[in-house]
Amino acid sequence: MEFAWSQTHLDYRSRVSGFLEKELPEDWFETHQKGLGSKEQIDFSRDFCPKLADAGLLTPQWPKEYGGEGGEAWEQFILAEEVWRWGEPRGPQYMGVNWIGPTLMRFGTEDQKDRHLKGIASGKLVWSQGFSEPQAGTDLGAMQTKAEWNGQGYTVNGMKLWTSYSERADWIFLLARTGPERKQISVFLVDMKTPGVKVVPFPGLPEYGHLNEVYFDNVHIPASALLGEEHKGWDIMAFTLNFERVGLPRYIWGLRTLDIAVEQLKAEGRFDDPICRAAAGRIVARFEAATVLTYAVVDERINDIQGTVTPNVQRITAANGCLELMNFLMDYLPDCVAGGNNFLELFYRAQIASTIAAGAYEIQLDAIAQRGLGMPRGR
Amino acid sequence: MQFQLDENQAAVLAGVQAILQHHQDLPASHRRGWSYYDMGLDDALARNGYLDIGRTEGMGGVESALVVLEAAKAPVAVEIGASALVAPHISASEIPRPICLIRGDLMKAQRFLPVARTAIIDTGDDVLVVPVDPANVEAVESIFAYPFGRFKSRPDLAKAVRLGKATVAPLRQWARVALACEVAGAMRAAIDFTVDYTKQRKMFGSTLAAYQAVHHRLAECHLIAEGVRALALKAAWSGDESEAAWAATYAQMNIQKVLFDTHQFNGGMGVTNEHKLHFWTYRFRALQAEVGGQSGAALDTADLRWGPPGAGAIDRARVRVG
Repeated sequence: MEFAWSQTHLDYRSRVSGFLEKELPEDWFETHQKGLGSKEQIDFSRDFCPKLADAGLLTPQWPKEYGGEGGEAWEQFILAEEVWRWGEPRGPQYMGVNWIGPTLMRFGTEDQKDRHLKGIASGKLVWSQGFSEPQAGTDLGAMQTKAEWNGQGYTVNGMKLWTSYSERADWIFLLARTGPERKQISVFLVDMKTPGVKVVPFPGLPEYGHLNEVYFDNVHIPASALLGEEHKGWDIMAFTLNFERVGLPRYIWGLRTLDIAVEQLKAEGRFDDPICRAAAGRIVARFEAATVLTYAVVDERINDIQGTVTPNVQRITAANGCLELMNFLMDYLPDCVAGGNNFLELFYRAQIASTIAAGAYEIQLDAIAQRGLGMPRGR
Repeated sequence: MQFQLDENQAAVLAGVQAILQHHQDLPASHRRGWSYYDMGLDDALARNGYLDIGRTEGMGGVESALVVLEAAKAPVAVEIGASALVAPHISASEIPRPICLIRGDLMKAQRFLPVARTAIIDTGDDVLVVPVDPANVEAVESIFAYPFGRFKSRPDLAKAVRLGKATVAPLRQWARVALACEVAGAMRAAIDFTVDYTKQRKMFGSTLAAYQAVHHRLAECHLIAEGVRALALKAAWSGDESEAAWAATYAQMNIQKVLFDTHQFNGGMGVTNEHKLHFWTYRFRALQAEVGGQSGAALDTADLRWGPPGAGAIDRARVRVG
């Protein structure tokens, strides 16, 4: 056990941060303040991600045959930490790069890999996830959207909800029911321009771009849109969610947001209060715990240690840091959500759903209790 | 970065576990007591070189931390944190042990004083190393699961070895690492003990472990213990003042939660001395206020990240991640 970064990793971090410092335009943070799902940020990321790709910094952990650098998981996480330190100029690309791409490599046909992986690795395409429905959020097995075989392909009918970035997405990674039994679910790769696909964004507490309804009205998709075997979507989802549960490095975003809040409190002459300082110190401790637990997850992945609850432990620890920081903002800088500070508002609103998305807080706790502590299934 | 133990670390852990397996219960005479200082364990750990492992060539903070963390899982008490993690970092020469760490009012009850041969006193301006005269110590009864005692009369500090003001910061830093390791180990044992109890205890026709309300709270305890362990080991490895403050902050701010939940799910049994739970929970409870407590650690965390009160704009060079 030792916690030193290797020289290779230090050099890689410098390379990423140096690239971002050089290539991000001066007005980048103005774009960033619009939000991850905003038109401005997505337009920006469509221009910026190809630059990252050209520099070999979009898919470093992907095998070379798929347009990556053949790097290891550490490089993926170092890259994620550095881009989040700069406010995530990749926009929604992290989804394609980190979860959808690896899932296609594992389950896709050669044609699917050829068609989609190059697109993701180029940084030009935006993907969204069509998982949740009004009656099927955490309980995905209850989904109603159907994909029925029509002799040549599938006809999709139904509706997805909370689909981040779908208003401007090129493709959707769609889960749909292909049989009457609960687990008869399949995954489809659907072009968002297909006739019958309609996106309706709507307002909500989370930042703009996260809440969209996607309607499928007699949408005809080819047989080649099916990923993996029919009815076997559950296995694919288990694989995908394993990547998603590690998620984005919220601890970096959180610590950066906390620094911005402290900077403001200092400027207002309010950061000498020991109660405020101690509260900020406790938030740092939470995020640092999440940081080292994230590194433990990466280490397990590299050493092919499977079935542990470390990803769940990491995710909840990071979420608890976010919740405490949101509360800190409301204690000391409540006007941040009333036009006072766009950076702080962005964090606050993005984190409102952080304990719900990608495996609700309680689902993670169930996993820890059952698989980590050996407790029976709860009632 | 590597989270798996290397060969030496695995050997150290296996060695200390081999000793600890003979110290997993208390003698009948102390079974219903508040605490039990296991001199046999103390002697076995000392004889086998585990208490000064930090001074052994090729070994360091992580190895010492692993020993402290593992020993803290036993229901018996032994002075190990100050010996294995603090003393090697503040004094080149060996300090007679067991060691009692003192900060604040010298005449208040102190952890380990009844068994200590040396007191290390943090005066704020200096660190004093003082031999303890057993005749000048009286035991104090406490619900804390460590031996507590107080001086009968103020010890003669003129005889103290003065380590100097520069030693104050490393003393506090390593005392924080030590307390975080002890908290992590004792929390782990208390949680495992409680999970085991909930699997046996039936209520309304089911075991307690079958209720989701119980699941969730013990899962939260688990993730706290894992976080404290990870931070403590990393702080022991790095020797970094900030990391020690993070580990202590996270450990001490979460003590109430783990203590309350583990006692809650042991129900009435958990508040009797017949049950063993308090031998762990009232050890980590006793550590809640050490080295300035959670507020002190959190304030030091803030000072180290953003500068002391009154400091100007954030010095970006101080703000590091990863």
